[in-house]
Amino acid sequence: MRGRTWPTKAAAVLVAIVACGFTAPALAQKPVKIGVLTPLSPPGDASAGQFIVRGAKMAADDVNARGGVLGGRKIELVTEDDSGTPEKGVAGFRKLATLDQVVAVIGQFHSSVMGAVQELAEQFKIPVFATQASARSLTEKHLTYTFRTHVIDPDRVSLWNRWIKQHDFKRVALIAENTDYGVGLVEETKRLFKSMDVQADLKTVIFDRAVVDLTPQLLEIKNWKPDLVLNGGVGTPVYLVIKQAHDVGLFPAVPMLVSYDLPARPEFWKNLGDKGAYLTFIVYYHPTMKLTSRGEAFRAKYREQYKEDPVYGALNAYAQVALVADALNDAKSDTGEPLVKALLSNTFEGWNGTISFSHGEGPYWQQWTPPMLFLQYTKPEMPFGEAKIVFPPQFKTGDLLMAPKR
Amino acid sequence: MDAYLFSQYLLSGIVIGLIYSLMALGITFIYSIMKMINWAMGEFYMIGSYVQYALLVTLLPPERWYLALPLAMGAVFLLGVVTQRLLLRPMYVGGIERRDEYATIITIALMVFFRNLAIVLGGPNQYAPKDYARATTLGTLPISGNRVVALVAAIVLLTLFSLMVKQTWLGRAFRGAAQNRVGIQTAGIDVLRLDMLAFGVGVALAAAAGALLAPDFLVYPENGAISTFKGFEIIVIGGLGSIPGSVVGGVLLGVIEALGSVFIASAYKDLYGFVLLIALLVLRPTGLFGERERTV
Repeated sequence: MRGRTWPTKAAAVLVAIVACGFTAPALAQKPVKIGVLTPLSPPGDASAGQFIVRGAKMAADDVNARGGVLGGRKIELVTEDDSGTPEKGVAGFRKLATLDQVVAVIGQFHSSVMGAVQELAEQFKIPVFATQASARSLTEKHLTYTFRTHVIDPDRVSLWNRWIKQHDFKRVALIAENTDYGVGLVEETKRLFKSMDVQADLKTVIFDRAVVDLTPQLLEIKNWKPDLVLNGGVGTPVYLVIKQAHDVGLFPAVPMLVSYDLPARPEFWKNLGDKGAYLTFIVYYHPTMKLTSRGEAFRAKYREQYKEDPVYGALNAYAQVALVADALNDAKSDTGEPLVKALLSNTFEGWNGTISFSHGEGPYWQQWTPPMLFLQYTKPEMPFGEAKIVFPPQFKTGDLLMAPKR
Repeated sequence: MDAYLFSQYLLSGIVIGLIYSLMALGITFIYSIMKMINWAMGEFYMIGSYVQYALLVTLLPPERWYLALPLAMGAVFLLGVVTQRLLLRPMYVGGIERRDEYATIITIALMVFFRNLAIVLGGPNQYAPKDYARATTLGTLPISGNRVVALVAAIVLLTLFSLMVKQTWLGRAFRGAAQNRVGIQTAGIDVLRLDMLAFGVGVALAAAAGALLAPDFLVYPENGAISTFKGFEIIVIGGLGSIPGSVVGGVLLGVIEALGSVFIASAYKDLYGFVLLIALLVLRPTGLFGERERTV
């Protein structure tokens, strides 16, 4: 430096100041993008996708209000519609990875879509989260960039098998759609009926997801004389099975269990009217549940904003965006590999407990499972919060009520 | 399998087949007059169901569904007339060389447009109007009251349509246009106006099916897809341009699907209709009631 004159030094300092002035805020302000790839139009369960987007947006707002991530960078959500179809899911993921350059993708609802995009996640080294996709195979592949904070089919089936044994149901019919989820449920139920020694006959019927008239299949089930029907549809088919089972006199004379939390949604009674009474369904959240401080804050804000109780999809999406934000801070990086390391080596505050990911056996790979409850609506127009918890026994608030004979 | 159960499956197939034949009739009628396939037929079915639902939750009480039905049909008829006037008429007056391609592109574009419009206006969720009637029994078949209403309405509409075509001046004009578009112009009939009416009537029939089935099959942006699919299968089975073909084809398809899904496998319900369709194309390419096109 000795040879330099003061004007040179001054110019160098000036350049450095100007450079810092331009680049440092530019870097600090460059948002960190998180993709929300979820069904927002048919044939996907678009209603579920809307709740997921709500939760994700509220999480991004909360993180940004707290100062963002990685020293002040804001979270920016990029939402893509996968329509519940693998081809649109793949196109959406490619766009998120290449054009938007997201650091992680959440919002996966349909197992068949998740199955298609998780290969791309490996290729682009972007963590992808199953928000409500539950097929066993998704985490059973032991992929580096696949994470799930949702129940898996063996757990779901295992729980309903315990319920079947407890109630001593003798003839169980499972009607499921021809998707990864539906077929997975059928296979898992057949497998676990044997291994759990369920003393009941099982009849399985798989229907084409696009079909709207299910009368012949439901008549076939009715004529088989089951004492329990398991409804393995997703989205519109759930309603079609309930409505048409009611019309042929199968339900509510024979109890029906819906395999996921669709009946918790506000539009349920509008679509089914009295036909929804006596329905039993699986949920992962109940308004009477005690949540973490993060979950309680979200629930209060959601109620204030939407004038209704949050549903599980919104809670889970909220928790996923929040945990990605936490992991980014832990990783001190917005790239895939450090982010995955941070996800595996830390614990995160979820909506109802502490979330951690480990390399468990089989489908319990990078998998965190929320609780499951069986709820029953015992009268028409019953609010979700008043539905009775009928299983498992430790959480029960009421017994399974059989419908009066028509 | 006893006769009682068999009769249940058979009846359920006949009922749904007859309702689907309304859709097929709309497609075949438009084809007969305008010599074009309307690929957006399912979207007019969907719009019919949305209009019916909207009327029953805003202007009319749920028990007045029978007033909403003609209003939904009327609204879709007008939409069809406007669509034909603005988008399809240029096929016949604008000197377009590749008429078939033009019609295909326009109607597929309409299909995408109407579906997306439904998502924008009504959201992607499902809706359902209240039941039109209580569940009942039809012979041996326990059946939804809505489906009985749809069945009766389908029979009434098919009969009225048949009478209109056979007994009225307008029907004669339609038959004339179906036989020879140039020939009827020599009798002073404005064939372009006839096209507009035919398109409106055809899509109104689809709207009737959508409105009638709304409580059972729900209202959502893609609810017309499956009925279009069935409609096309039916017209090929029954014979393009034939009214009895639409009815017989519909019943045949409904029965084959119902029996196939019970006796073979329900996961392949759509396949059985296609097997029938392929068999017919091999044995009788014109369909059951179709006629060979006469060439001079």
